[in-house]
Amino acid sequence: MNRITTNVGKVLPALVFGVAFLGFWEWAVKFFELKPYFLTAPSSIWEQFTGNFSLIRGAATVSGTNALVGLVAGTVLGVAMSFVLSRFGFLNQLITPLAIALNAIPIFVLVAVLNNMYSITSEIPRRIMVTLVVYFIVLVNVARGLTQVSPTHVELMRSYAASDVAILRKVRIPNAVPFLFTALKIAAPAAVITAFVSEYFGGSQNGLGSRISSNIANSKNAAAWAYVLAACLLGLLFYTVSVVMENLNRKGGVRQ
Amino acid sequence: MTAVSIRNVSKVFNQGKPNQVDALSNVALEVKQGEFVSLIGPSGCGKSTLLRLVANLLEPTSGEVVVNGKSAAQARLDQDYGMAFQQAGLFDWRTVRKNIELPLELKGWDKSKRSARADEMLQLVQLPEFGDHYPWQLSGGMQQRIAIARALAAHPPLLLMDEPFGALDEMTREYMQGELLRICAATGTTVVFVTHSIPEAVYLSNRVVVMSPRPGRITKVVDVSLGGERSEDTRNRTAFFEAITAVREGLRGMHAAHVGLGNDDR
Repeated sequence: MNRITTNVGKVLPALVFGVAFLGFWEWAVKFFELKPYFLTAPSSIWEQFTGNFSLIRGAATVSGTNALVGLVAGTVLGVAMSFVLSRFGFLNQLITPLAIALNAIPIFVLVAVLNNMYSITSEIPRRIMVTLVVYFIVLVNVARGLTQVSPTHVELMRSYAASDVAILRKVRIPNAVPFLFTALKIAAPAAVITAFVSEYFGGSQNGLGSRISSNIANSKNAAAWAYVLAACLLGLLFYTVSVVMENLNRKGGVRQ
Repeated sequence: MTAVSIRNVSKVFNQGKPNQVDALSNVALEVKQGEFVSLIGPSGCGKSTLLRLVANLLEPTSGEVVVNGKSAAQARLDQDYGMAFQQAGLFDWRTVRKNIELPLELKGWDKSKRSARADEMLQLVQLPEFGDHYPWQLSGGMQQRIAIARALAAHPPLLLMDEPFGALDEMTREYMQGELLRICAATGTTVVFVTHSIPEAVYLSNRVVVMSPRPGRITKVVDVSLGGERSEDTRNRTAFFEAITAVREGLRGMHAAHVGLGNDDR
């Protein structure tokens, strides 16, 4: 009971601020008679959001699936590559410059190129794009976790005549686990954003990103904002899941 | 019988390069079974290097190290020694019990045998109720006791310690010294102990080996005649202060020589 009270105490200021902010927004639109193309009132955004909910949910499912597929694929590839790089140091010097160069290419350029490689209705280019973004975040962090182990731990394991495999299993991998969750916390929202942005450069007009841009093009501002609200909620969902996963792992006793 | 035999050992780092360091030059030392020997000296005198040569974490450039009647390399493979460092070096993701069991896991012991030995070690370091805690829930002194328990879990005849109490406050440190002596008396373990605290070296040791830097070598060996039983009263005895003075003179003699050398250079 007491814990619930303190939790309410923690979120109450944020809640009050949020409600006050929306109230002020609503009031300002009414009072200054702002035109809908300049700024839409929260009430009309909410109207659009509830009125078009099944359409919005469909678009969110498309973008969310792309983000999730890319997130999983990028994580698997990133973890696998970090093992290879931490094992073979020389590969690091070969691959790192390539990775940096690839990472420096703006998203829209890559999406445009990928769109040409697949059919116009294919979701694959967007998923590849998300995969690439997630891959680099996971690779850099997990590789650091595998290599930046305490020198005392390594000396200790060598004093036990432990093999490289044993050091990997008992020192490097456990050391890298918190790094993986940190990477996921960064990569999860990034995956969602990349999925939206990838939709701006051709392909099916079925996701949240393309809905936002087409509604804005048709001056349907309130509808565009309703899709922005959905995008925001989807990003929050991904982030929250990654934080919950990290907390579950911490219960295993890893120091914060 | 001899536990450790260091025969004319030299160690050069980066040999032939501009940053060449003569870490140890012609060091010879014998440590008897059950003996407690401390290595003391200023930074860079090679005391930690010497310990790592005994542990076979480093190879000597010349000379030979024999541990437990075998080559140092074979002794490491056989886990003939346990090691403790300045940082307790416990694994945050393992419980205290699992930390103690680590060397036994690597030896391929089965679960029940490991668990029984962990209980025994927790009793030995007098922390039986902390087995299921995680290391970060323990104080620095407790963590170091768990590290000692882990080092001794496989019952090795030799314990190598590299400034294990260096990060502890003075009171915890003196308590830990008493604990270490009690544990060694109970297990009959031979100890080679690196420190730069003179009272610590004297309180713990049968012999204190004084080392000097550039190149690292042994300049003096002080026999501590305090007998086997040591208690808090030991720290007030005349023999304790005499040994401290002897070690200090050993260290100071080389300091004077070192300053003299510096003046000649200019």
